[in-house]
This record gives sequence, C-alpha cells and structure tokens, in this order.
Amino acid sequence: MSQDFRLDTVGLINRDKKLSFKFNGKNYFGYEGDTLASALLANGVHLIGRSFKYHRPRGFFGAGVDEPYAIVQLYRNNETEPNVKTTEQELFEGLEATSVNCWPSVNFDIGAINNLLKVFLPAGFYYKTFMWPKSFWYKVYEPFIRKAAGLGVASIKHDKERYEHKYEYCDLLIAGSGPSGLASAYAAAKNGARVILAEDKPRFGGTLLTSEVNIGNQTGKEWAENIIAELKEMPNVTVKNRSQVFGYYDHNMVVMSEKISDHLPKTKKHHPKQRLWYIRAKEVLISSGSIERPLVFGNNDTPGVMLSSAAKEYLKVYGVLVGKKPLIFTNNDSGYETAIEFKKNGVEPIILDTRKEPNSEIIDEAKNLGIQIKFSYVVVAAKGYKKVNAAEIAKISDNKNDLGVLENIICDCICVSGFWTPTIHLASQSGNKTKFDKEIDAFVPGISKQNETTLGAANGKFTLAETLKDSFDAGYELSKKITKNDNKVSYPIVVEKNKTTHDKFWCVPLPKGKNYKRFLDFQNDVAVSDIEIALKEGYRSIEHVKRYTTLGMATDQGKTSNLNGLQLVSDMENKIVPEVGHTTFRPPYTPVTIGAIVGREVGKHSRPTRKSPINSWHEKNNAVFVDAGVWLRPRYYKQGNETLFEGSKREAKNVRVNVGVCDVTTLGKIDIKGPDAAELLNRVYTNAWLKLPVGKARYGVMLREDGIVMDDGTTTRISENHYHMTTTTAQAANVLSHLEYYLQLVWPELNVNVVSTTEQWAGAAIAGPKSRDLLQNLFPNIDASNEGLPFMGYLEGELFGVHARIFRISFSGELAYEVNVESDNGNFMWKKIMEIGKEFKIQPYGTEALSTLRIEMGHVAGSELDGRTIPYDNGLEGMISKNKDFIGKRSLNKKAFVAEDRQKVVGVVPLDKKTSIPEGSHLVRDVNAQLPNPKLGYISASCWSVEHDNPFSLAILKDGKNMIGQKLFVMSPLKNITIPVEIVSSHYVDPKGERVRS
Amino acid sequence: MQKYSIFNLIKNAFSGHQNWDLAWKDATPKKEYDVIIIGGGGHGLATAYYLAKEHNITNVAIIEKGWLGGGNMGRNTTIIRSNYMHDDNALFSEFGMDLWRKMSQDLNYNVMFSPRGIINLAHSDAQMNVFARRGNSMRLNDIDAVLLNREEVKEIIPMADFSENVRFPIFGGLMQPSAGTARHDAVAWGYARQADSMGVDIIQNCEVTGFDVSGGKINGVRTSRGDIKVKKIGLCVAGSTNILAEKLNMTIPVETHLLQACVTEPVKPVLDKVVTFGAGHFYISQSDKGEMVMGGDLDGYNSYAQRGNLPTLQHVLTEGIAMMPFLSKLKMLRTWGGIMDMSMDGSPIIDKTHIEGLYLNCGWCYGGFKATPASGWTFAHTIAQDRVHKLNEGYSLSRFNTGHLLDEKGLGTKTWIS
Amino acid sequence: MLHIKCPHCGMRSQNEFSYGGDATIKRPELNKEISDQDWNNFVYNRKSLRGKHLELWQHLSGCRQWIKVERDTATHEIFKTLKANQDI
Repeated sequence: MSQDFRLDTVGLINRDKKLSFKFNGKNYFGYEGDTLASALLANGVHLIGRSFKYHRPRGFFGAGVDEPYAIVQLYRNNETEPNVKTTEQELFEGLEATSVNCWPSVNFDIGAINNLLKVFLPAGFYYKTFMWPKSFWYKVYEPFIRKAAGLGVASIKHDKERYEHKYEYCDLLIAGSGPSGLASAYAAAKNGARVILAEDKPRFGGTLLTSEVNIGNQTGKEWAENIIAELKEMPNVTVKNRSQVFGYYDHNMVVMSEKISDHLPKTKKHHPKQRLWYIRAKEVLISSGSIERPLVFGNNDTPGVMLSSAAKEYLKVYGVLVGKKPLIFTNNDSGYETAIEFKKNGVEPIILDTRKEPNSEIIDEAKNLGIQIKFSYVVVAAKGYKKVNAAEIAKISDNKNDLGVLENIICDCICVSGFWTPTIHLASQSGNKTKFDKEIDAFVPGISKQNETTLGAANGKFTLAETLKDSFDAGYELSKKITKNDNKVSYPIVVEKNKTTHDKFWCVPLPKGKNYKRFLDFQNDVAVSDIEIALKEGYRSIEHVKRYTTLGMATDQGKTSNLNGLQLVSDMENKIVPEVGHTTFRPPYTPVTIGAIVGREVGKHSRPTRKSPINSWHEKNNAVFVDAGVWLRPRYYKQGNETLFEGSKREAKNVRVNVGVCDVTTLGKIDIKGPDAAELLNRVYTNAWLKLPVGKARYGVMLREDGIVMDDGTTTRISENHYHMTTTTAQAANVLSHLEYYLQLVWPELNVNVVSTTEQWAGAAIAGPKSRDLLQNLFPNIDASNEGLPFMGYLEGELFGVHARIFRISFSGELAYEVNVESDNGNFMWKKIMEIGKEFKIQPYGTEALSTLRIEMGHVAGSELDGRTIPYDNGLEGMISKNKDFIGKRSLNKKAFVAEDRQKVVGVVPLDKKTSIPEGSHLVRDVNAQLPNPKLGYISASCWSVEHDNPFSLAILKDGKNMIGQKLFVMSPLKNITIPVEIVSSHYVDPKGERVRS
Repeated sequence: MQKYSIFNLIKNAFSGHQNWDLAWKDATPKKEYDVIIIGGGGHGLATAYYLAKEHNITNVAIIEKGWLGGGNMGRNTTIIRSNYMHDDNALFSEFGMDLWRKMSQDLNYNVMFSPRGIINLAHSDAQMNVFARRGNSMRLNDIDAVLLNREEVKEIIPMADFSENVRFPIFGGLMQPSAGTARHDAVAWGYARQADSMGVDIIQNCEVTGFDVSGGKINGVRTSRGDIKVKKIGLCVAGSTNILAEKLNMTIPVETHLLQACVTEPVKPVLDKVVTFGAGHFYISQSDKGEMVMGGDLDGYNSYAQRGNLPTLQHVLTEGIAMMPFLSKLKMLRTWGGIMDMSMDGSPIIDKTHIEGLYLNCGWCYGGFKATPASGWTFAHTIAQDRVHKLNEGYSLSRFNTGHLLDEKGLGTKTWIS
Repeated sequence: MLHIKCPHCGMRSQNEFSYGGDATIKRPELNKEISDQDWNNFVYNRKSLRGKHLELWQHLSGCRQWIKVERDTATHEIFKTLKANQDI
C-alpha cells in the first residue's frame, strides 16, 4: 500500500519499518521516524481538531514545538493523555489518538455553531453578559461554558508511570543542536570542557537537516551527523535528544525534561517515562533557533495553511508532501527554499511575494527552475472550510494599503513565511532584558544577566557562516575560561545562498465589503478584530490586550502569535513595537508533565515515614498507627474487635491501676554540653535553671520572642556540663535550630554545643502505681525507692547488660519513669519491659491513652500550645521567673496578654456526666443567642476520664480563672450538638500532684 | 455609561462592534485631589469605587506604577472564601462574600463569581478537630460550614487519593459551600469602569517617587508624572508596601515575599470544587477555561522578583499529586509569581497611621483577592470618615503593640514559613 | 534554585539551607530596659527592601551553621556570604 502524499525516497524515516496506528477510529500506517503529524499528512489527513472558542476546523500549522493547534487525545498502554502535540509525538506501533474539543466528531462538530455566532462573541463578550438573572451565572451559564471549554480529557486514574530526577553539573549546557549548538559544543568539547548538549527533537542537527548548505566538503546534514557522532564518543560530553530545556532559573540552574519512553508503545520495565534534569551549568549556551512568523490574512486558520518551514520539514525529514498544489505566501526569501524543494520533487508551486522587486541568489534559483512567482501579491483569504481548496489573492499597492482585483487561485495548501522570530525564551527567563532589533523586526537578547550566551538564529543571526563563526568562537572562549585549555578548532568553509531583506509586512488588509476573520492566535481564536475591540475599549497595555482577548495564552503560549499581536497593537496605537513591549517569558518553555517535575516522591513516598526502632513489635502486636508529623506512632493496641474508644480506655485504666508502657522514642532529644549550658537553658526557658543539681530533671517552657509558647519538655542534668533536653515530637527540629540561632548569632560568647540525639535514643515511658516495682526488677542494681530515685531524679543503670538512662518524669500524672537506651537496643529494652512487666499486668499504651491520661491531669500539650497561646493561657504562669530575663519575656507585658479577662485553660464536664464533648466545639453562654453568637472559648481536648468514668475536656476559656463553677453550653453546630456543661479546674485527677511524688 | 447586556451585545454585533465605549479613560494627573489612592490593583480600584459610591467623594485619583490590575490582582488563584476562625477575619470576609454575590450586577460587569464551594482536607483526627474548631466558629458567626467525613469527601471529589498507597489518608474535610472563585481581571476592570464613570481619574504608568509630609500631615505626593497636592492618601500597594513605607520613614510589621502559582493545560471539566490539602500547603481549582489552577508555599526568602524557583513548585506539586494522583499526567503550562505583603500575624492591616491624612491598607499575605470588595469598602470608609469601621477594627497597626493578634495559623513572625 | 556559598562548606544548592530572615535585626540585650517601640521593632517591624538584603540562612543539611548572605531581593544575585560572627 502506498501513501498518496509520501515521496518514495526523500526523508530520514525508516521505510523498512511500517507502523500502524489509529486516528479517530480509522486505521492508518506510517513509518518509524514519523511523528503522528507527518504520518497523518502522509495519509492526506489534514482535519485534526477544533478550535477553542468557535470550534473551527483545525489542521497542522507547524512541525514541532511551535504547533498551535494540532493536538490530540493520545491513548498509550491503557492510559490516555490529553492535549498531545501531534507534531512532537513520535509514531509507535499501535498508537491511537482522537480529536479533542469536538462533538460528536471532528467532521461534524455541534460546537461549530459558535462559528456562525462569532459576530456575537467578540473578545470579552462574556464580561458583558450572562449576568441576568443573578443566580444563573453559577447554575446555568458557567456549567455550559465550562463544558464547552477545555481541550482534551483528563483521566482520573492514578499514574502508573515512573518519573526520575537527575542532578548534574557541567561546564557548558547547550540548548539546541542546530548549527550553533553543534559548533559551540564541538569547540568547547575539543577544549576539554564538560558539555551537555540537549536537543528536543529525536534527531540532532536542527535546520541543517532541511537546508541546502555545505560545510567543508559535506552537506549540512552530513556535517551534523559527523559532529554528533564524534561528540557522542567523547567522555566529557553528554548528548541528549528528546530533551527539552524548558527553564532557566536562578544561579544558572537549568532544567530539562528528557522523554525516555513517550515514543515507545509502552515504558520498558524499570525505565522511567521521563527524566527531569536539574543542571547547574557554569555557562549556558542558548542555541534554540527561531520560529517562523506567520502572515495574517482572511481565514488563515483553515487546515492546509501552514508555516513554509514546516512544509519543508515534512518534505525533507519525513518525505511528506503537505500538498500537491502548494501556494507559497512569503515576505522574505525563506519561502523560496520551500518552493524549490517542492519543485525538485515534481510539484509545481506558486510563490506570492509581498515584495516588489527583491533580488537574491535564491530568488534567481527559483526563477531558473521555472517556478511561477507573483511579486507584490498577497493572499487575501483562504478558501475551503475543512481544507484549503483555493485562495483569494490580489496585487497589493506599494504602501500596502490597497488591494487590487481579487483573483481566485486553486491550491491545496498555503505555506506562509513572515520571516523569523528568535526563540529568546531561555534568555528572557534568565533575566536578560531583551531588546528589539529593527533589522529583523523581532526581539533579541540584550546584555546577559546570568552566564548565558545566545547564539545563531536565537540571537537574530540568520546566516550560517556568521552563526558558525560566532558559535565556534563562543564554545572556544567559554571553555577556555573554565578549563584554561587552549585547543582551538578551525572554522569550516561554508557555502550558502545569500538572501535579501524581508518585507515589513505581516497583516493583509481586508478587501472592501469582506469581513474575513484574520487569526493571530489559532488555538484561542483571537483575531485581528478582537485586538481592535480591546484597544477601542481601552484595554491598551499589552498585558490588558492579552488578558482581555486571551492572545498567546493557549497551550502553545503564543509562540507564533505574540509578535504579530504586538505588531498589530503597535500599528494601531501608532507606537513602535518596543514601546508596546512584550509580556514576560516564564518557565516552562513548553508544557511539562507534572509527574516529571515531582519525580519519585509520590504515593507513600510523598513524604518520608519515620518509625521508632520498636516499630516492628508494635506492628506484630496489633498496633493501630497514627501519623504524628512524619512519625508513625501506635495509637492503641487493638484487642479483638475493640474500638479506639474501648481500647484506649482499657490502656489508660491499666496505667492508673497497674502499669503501662509507651514508646516515646519520637520525642525530640538534644544533647547540650559546655560550661555555659546552664546559662543557655536559663535564657531559653522561662523558669530558673542555674541551680539544677546534677542528676536532676526539670520541666521547662520556652517562648518565641513574641511571647507565644513555642515548646515544653524536661531537661536533665546528666553531669556538671552536660544536659539532655527533650522537646515535643512536632517541634524537635525547630527547637534545635532555635538554640543554634541564639548560640551562633545572639550569644556567641556562650560556650555551649548542641546536637540532636533524637535518633540515638529509644525511649519507653513506664507509668502506673506498679512502675517502681517493675523498674526495680528491670534494674536490680539501682535503688528505685522514692529516696534513691525521687521525682525528677535521674540515674544510669544496666538493663540486662545494656546501658540505660532512667528519668523519673511523668506525663501521665502517675508514678512514672522514662528509660532510654541506645536505639539499636530499643527492641531489646521493650521486650524486657513487657517480659518482666507481665507479673505487674503491664500493657502497652498508645497515644490515645496517653492523651486521656494527660487531659484528665490537666497537662497541656499540642492542642493547647498551638502557637497562639501564652504561658498564662496554659496555666503555666507559675513557670515564669520574675528574677531573670529570657527569650520572649519582654513581650509578656502586652495589654492583651495581661488583660484581666485573659483566656485560660479550664476543665469542662457535661452536666449529665454522659455526653462526650466533641473537640473543636465552642463554649457559649446562650444557646439561642442571635448569630453571631459570642464565643467564650473552645474545647481543645476531650477524653473519657478513666478516673471518674465520665467525659472530661480541657478548654481555653475567656476569663478562665473566674469561670470555675459556672454553667455554660458547649456548641458544635457542625454536629448539631449542644451540651450543658460545668466549668471545673483543669486538674481533674490528683490536683495536688501527689502520685508523681509517691 | 454604556450598559452591558445581551441586547447591547447583539446591537453592537450589527455595527461590527465599532461603537463600544472605553471601559475607562486614561487620565492625566490634575494638580490637586481630595483623595489619592496609590495602587491600581483590586483593592485600590474598589476603594475608589466605594469612596465615590458610598461617600460621594469623587475628586479622587488612582495612581498606578504599571498597568491596572497588574500586581497580585492579576496573579492570584482567584479563590474567594470566608472560612476563618478568628472573628475579626470571619466577619470581615463574610461581609465581603455579600459584596461578591452581587458584584456582577453592581458593577454591570460579569466577574463570574462562582460559588462552587471549598473543601479543606483533613488527614488525621487531630486535624479534623482543628477544622471542627474553625467550622463551629464559622457557624456561630453565621457562615456556612459543613464537616465531611471520608465517604462524603469521596463522593464529592472522587479523584482525590482514596487508595491504599497514600502517605496521608483523607479523614474528612471542612467545606464552605458558598466559597468559590471569580475572574480576577474582570474584578479590576469592572471596578475601574464604574469608578471612572463616577469621575475618578485612573492614571496608569505613574510611579510614586516621594511624599510631601509636614507637621505630621500629608500634603502631597511626588510622582514620575509630577507633584500632586492632596489631602488624603490611601496606600494600597500590597507587594510594594515596604518600599513606599521607607519613603515615609516608616517600618511596618510586613515582609515582602514571593508566592508562585501555576496552571495546567486546559482539560474538560473534572473538578468543580476548590480543594486544599491538609498535610501540606497546596490548593487547586479548575478555571472556566479548563486549566487546573494551583498554588502552595512561598518561595521562602524575601523577594521582589516576579519569578520563582522550581524546587518550590516541585514541592507544591508533590503535595498536589499526593492529594490528587491524576494530576501527575497533566502538563504544567504556565507559572508565575506574585509579590506578597506577609504580615507578622498573617492578617491584614487597614488603618490610619501616625501621619494625618495617610491611610494604610496592606499585609494581605495570600488572602488579598477574596478581600477585594470588603477591603475597598472598609478602606473607603476609613479614609472618608477618618476613623476605622467596626469591620476593620481588628486590622489595626496597633495590635502588634497590644497583643490583639490575629494569627490564624499560629506560626508567628517567621512569615516565610507557610 | 539558589546556589549559596557556605563560608564553611563551599558552594551548595539552596535546598540544603533554611532561611532565617533579616540579619540586621539585633536582639536587644537581656536584662536591659527597652521601650515598647524598640522591642516591637525587633519582634515585628521589618524594612524588607528591594535590592541588597543582608539575611540569615542556616546550612541545615550541612554544617548547621547560621550564615549571613547578602542577596539582591529583586534579582537574587548573591554578593557575599559571611560567617555568623562576621559583619559586612
């Protein structure tokens, strides 16, 4: 089977390997090396989709990254991807694709009714209507508009593909492997520099693949192939195809996305789909080339209208004729190259040149080949709906204002060339203030902002000889700067045809009586008339024009439309282009898959999971876990069908009656050493620390400088100049940085060192009336009596041969100890505690029971110390030393902080002693008060008191100290709950704190 | 003023849309005004509008360094909500919600207010309790709020991660059904058009270079387009407040930071709620155009660069995928950065200053867009009456002295930690 | 991503550091009388200007030293990095 539009021999595709694929349900074939676009064109398919607003037929306009509208929904390996550019998607066996944004089909699209109504839908029409009746926007109009908008369909299935990241350093990163990229890479590599050369297309060589030039004794294409082959062999060079440098960030960080598997039917096992490269380059060479600029005329969005460079690329790279009766419409010499290629392959093109009498070698060549050329001619409008079938053309006056008699000319494609726009995105992203070059009517990079150098067409240099010379020089000079080597390669001799200047003309005027739409932005359907309306209505800043009309905001980000838009605005406003200014280029240059940006940190790995060394025991013993920051902690140990409520009650009760053990490894631990350690503590904590004896622990509260409680914990004096600080799990990292901040910056005179030891120690809290007996059995050689190890005492001992630290501290309010051993021995310790504890009816307890125990004791924790409360609020005013200064003290005298009716922690008990109080409820005086109902306070923590066997809560209550005994209401409107309660002391169990000292 | 309506649209279609009026005039500065609003963003435009509409003060100029709505007004993620815990924030925002609901009709400009609802996801019981505290507070303030359990969340946003392979499972969420989004540019343009029609001068490309202050009183402002005499000045320049404060010899409890946002390529409707992640900082909604609009953490260091770094976006998108794994397959199309006034307690300032005739509106952190109408309304009141309204009483500068702080997050003065 | 020269470790990527704000803010001395205004200037008020900004960073995932960095807040150009005990 032959393909109607495929040439027999021309091109770089592999004709030995046929690939079958499906488009809109129909079977086609192409060849290895095709893009989806080239394969479809080879099959004569030009209708690919529908536009965003008017649903007008859309075909192919470009041949690469600049493509504004030939996008499809792609199906690959049981997955679907929206908005894939056919011009970039390489063909693979079994590829399936469908059109986007049309219903029921691309051939017959209901949405195309918008095209008939387009006169009512100018730029910004939606701001002027859909306002009545008031509720209709959200309920009727918006859903309708939303449904019509959007392009492809996002499947909500999870992504099964893998994406990787790679971090790389190099001397030179070169973006683009056209002539300037190859020359600079070669020169730099030969001079010993570490080079990364990136090419977004599958093939290296850029324009050398399609232009008729000679370098040295070779064709441009051969030269490119040889250079690449040599570069690939060099150990100091990394050459990457399918790799798009899309972002130039601060300090020469360049980011590139490499497509590893997108061109394959499915991703190979253990391979990523894409890889993101973070490259820190000493020098960045931008050789990203240029994009051909369209010419604007009536119905220039009709399928079959395309860039002349794209037509040439389809022909020379893919052996595809985009038409057999091509019309070339150009304002410069580039269109001639395309025409010549057509002619050489047996197709008769007609050239319409807007210029009057241009002269150059290439024009002469076209003339000599007998190509029909019409000077001072323009295309007024394309004819045909789903495909170009003719063109309306006319002679244009020298001043470009008046059209001659309209003529019809039969053609099946219109290849346009409006000269070239340098691809300055990366330079602009780097911070380079680009400047307007009047010679080429486009922006080019100005003074380098970071270490970026722009070369070749991207720098507005359009002759090969100049490009190669600049690029060899740049590669050599920059590499010399870095490597200090001095190996210079000689310039090759270049043979190319000279060209003459382009015509400063892009937008064909409308003939009298005709109202053709002349499009600038093909995907978003922004036409010349839309720009006119925006300006007429006063949206005159280029940013306003862009936002009002959506010019340049489609998935191609205006690569082919922005400059023509600017030109138009400047013409209409009688300004010069640079005065209008262009909108800022920001990364990414082309859309980047979010999965690639994220990399491997997905699913369970989206954040690290930290586990205590005792975790395996917890798992084996039916622990139900809870996330405590990044840590996993047992919430309760489930017995049978126990609920959380039942299980935690059992565990808490067992602590009050017998003894329980809790894994407290996750608590932050900081080792503090040095002669000034006590002084540091004294400044950091609110209470006094200078007289703490060796072998004693003390509870401390630390504040931020704004007076808000930052953290609490106990610190123990291990020896003369050695302290062991504990912090809450959540604040561990912050507290360490906090200490380091003051030690290094504020009080460098203090001779103290701090280091985190959170991971060094495994900790077990054993709590309950029988904990002393258990401790004594665990450590037969210590004196565990109240005298030998009093409350807040500290000892070291041997736990069956393992060194241990023993602290008599309590969070549960019971007689309790905390034992620390080195992490590796954590499991051993735990098992010994469970084994020896058996006779004391020991049970492990989780965070839920721990909460219950602390709540009924009135010990504040994270839900009270929430970054908004001062010590007084938490009943910690007794911890504030009056005799010394400390961090945050100066803030505590603020008016609101010392107000008579300041909020304070209290206890709350339901009057019926039965109804549990939901956390997050509020306290009010009057249930039926008119809203907003004044809130007196909120429930910070709730539990079922195992001591009193009824619900008990802590609350932060306004004027808390004077509210004890008052009857209020707890309200949770979210849960439709109202509970009459009594305010009691927050110390609901053992208010005098006798147990911990028993 | 020309009225916008479907009839007018049709009428104009027949004349080739040649007869549309200017939405607003490009004014040149006069010698003197009663009030000058510095900053042609949403807040400044709204302030001018309400000065004219509510207080009959029309000898007003808005002076803008660049183009109207070009600062954070054009760089936000368009979320509108009043789901605050603190009364001052909640009542202020809810007042704003009322203004949002009637804004399109008020301004005769479709700002596309879309009350589609916002869901804050919770990933632990503890977080559910924190949300309950906030939601109950909202309800007691007569603001709608619903606490959702896991199943209820799943019903509304099935594309969130309810699988086993998840680091922070969804426990539930807090929803404010009346919250939503609006078309940000339209809000600026709508206010500009109305303010202009009532006589306000809108002056673009006019940079403030200094102030004329004497005897503790404001007398005028120096600009790149000449000196202007004025009795009262409203400073409405979130993102540049520190710069102008320096010109006034003031230091303020605000730092300037960069917040990035990004959108994906447009896709057909898949998400019709605004959703925020609870185990990190990430929020998402889908625009009417089909783009998924996403944002999250600050770049993390003082910045005036309207360009961000990729690691922050990577971090934000990591949380995005953790919340909604399907996002992984979409492509990030556009990123941008906005410069934020980060106040030291996360809440804004709308107040008089120690300089007579100088009024300050700043410190909006991430929350400026939704506050546009309420901010304009209360600021106009504060300027016109020379005293704060009850609604912005809490947004005083003095609260940092008195300790009446409005810290919704409890993070204190490290504004760069979000 | 910024590239910050830690005065102790050399050039490192920004993700090894954590930010610490304005380095010119001096904590008032302990046990010293100070006005409300001065205290609030220390706790809350910031200049946060466009241009050169002396700021603190901690080399958190490195040597854990707090360092001073002079950076342009508009361009992110880093002019100088200093040890905690050095002044510009």
